[in-house]
Amino acid sequence: MTAVLALARFRVAGYVAGHRALQPLMGLLVLLAILYATAVPAGQEIAATADSAAMLVPVLAWAARGLLDTEPDEQRGIALSALGPRELVSGLLAAFSSLLVLAAVAEGMLLLRLTTSPTVAVLLTGVWLHLLSATAGLALGALTSRPILPSPAVSTIALIFGYLSMLILSMAGARWLTVPVMGWMRDAHHGVLLSEAALISVQSLLWPAIGLAAYAWLRRTRP
Amino acid sequence: MRIASLSFRYGRRAPWVLRDARLVLDPGDVVEVTGPNGAGKSTLLRLAAGLLRPVRGSVEDRPRVVGYAPERFPADQPFTVAAYLRHMTAVRRTNTDAIGHWSERLGMDHLLGQRLPDLSKGSAHKVGLAQALLADPGLLVLDEPFAGLDAATRAELPEIIGEVRARGGIVLLSDHQGDLRTFPGLRRCEVRDHVVREPEPTEEEAAEEALTTLEVAVPASRAADLAARLRAEGCAVRVTQQAPGQATGRVREEAG
Repeated sequence: MTAVLALARFRVAGYVAGHRALQPLMGLLVLLAILYATAVPAGQEIAATADSAAMLVPVLAWAARGLLDTEPDEQRGIALSALGPRELVSGLLAAFSSLLVLAAVAEGMLLLRLTTSPTVAVLLTGVWLHLLSATAGLALGALTSRPILPSPAVSTIALIFGYLSMLILSMAGARWLTVPVMGWMRDAHHGVLLSEAALISVQSLLWPAIGLAAYAWLRRTRP
Repeated sequence: MRIASLSFRYGRRAPWVLRDARLVLDPGDVVEVTGPNGAGKSTLLRLAAGLLRPVRGSVEDRPRVVGYAPERFPADQPFTVAAYLRHMTAVRRTNTDAIGHWSERLGMDHLLGQRLPDLSKGSAHKVGLAQALLADPGLLVLDEPFAGLDAATRAELPEIIGEVRARGGIVLLSDHQGDLRTFPGLRRCEVRDHVVREPEPTEEEAAEEALTTLEVAVPASRAADLAARLRAEGCAVRVTQQAPGQATGRVREEAG
């Protein structure tokens, strides 16, 4: 196992053993209970998948921020002394892996609440959209983590406003200015999501990529 | 390793902590950073260890393996001592046998099953030292390493530092307790008024060093070995042979 993976494993272990992982999990379960109080009717599978992925973003951002903030600052210093800048990669890797677990729980619950058996297209759309959602959550969580925003109050507000700005901008149709979460839902409900999959992927990954690059750049002076 | 024209402040509008710091550290150097509280000693140590990035200047040729023990070990982590050190050996890509070795050296075998948050300050500090030593660091940075340690470990730590030096490692530390004052060949650098300088030894120190001469008589077969060990500890050693018929070598040790 490489040093980066070993550090990621250490961080995930600390996140789980410290029970901090329970907070976003509880949030996710509440969200799923509301989303799937009634079963998903036939023909609405893709739309339900898009709704799930879009609504999951703040929960995943919360989880990513929680994982990155679990470690005491001095322990992060020790990790930095051991790995140098690769410490940052390890943190993002650990956070993304925890988001994949939460996204898989959401996807699993969605499949359980379908009234008809899922087709391959529904399954693949679920994986694709939840990966986009996890990437957006990772970037938002990383940018609101303690090294970047040391105040818990400011960090929480930034996380909420970050997600709200995604909703508002994408609702206004500005797909290139944010992660178009409302666009996912709108296209899915209008049945055009899959025909524009490539464009939506580029639009949805652009801002997370910029966000993660900004996180890496800011961390140079914020250990 | 070279600290070249290094300046640092914690923010754009924050005051400078260090200005134009210069320091050359050669293999085998043990350097104590002194200075008043808040002068920037810990900042200098963190910069040397690579935890902080210089605003200006650079740290060049830093050894590949760096061990860093913070002033306060972060004990608020959900692991036992053994589990924590196992994770650290994996991160350091080193053998888990090192855990047993350093636990024994630092007198913390009995702590391995304890949870980190339950440790006393001194015990937690030992865990911090152990993780820094796990991978045989080429640069060992210790922030107040003697604080809160028991007498046995206080006596052991200079030995460990001597061993790191003997294999060509660099040790950089701050030490308010003064436990390393008598360490042979110790270099000092002072952080004061944002400047790092190496003070000239006081006349008293210089005189003491010049006058401290120790004569040790050992069997001739052991003389070379003992001389090598003393040299590793920073002593100047001159070996003289006694008159024929007397089966002893004479090792003359001079401080500095």
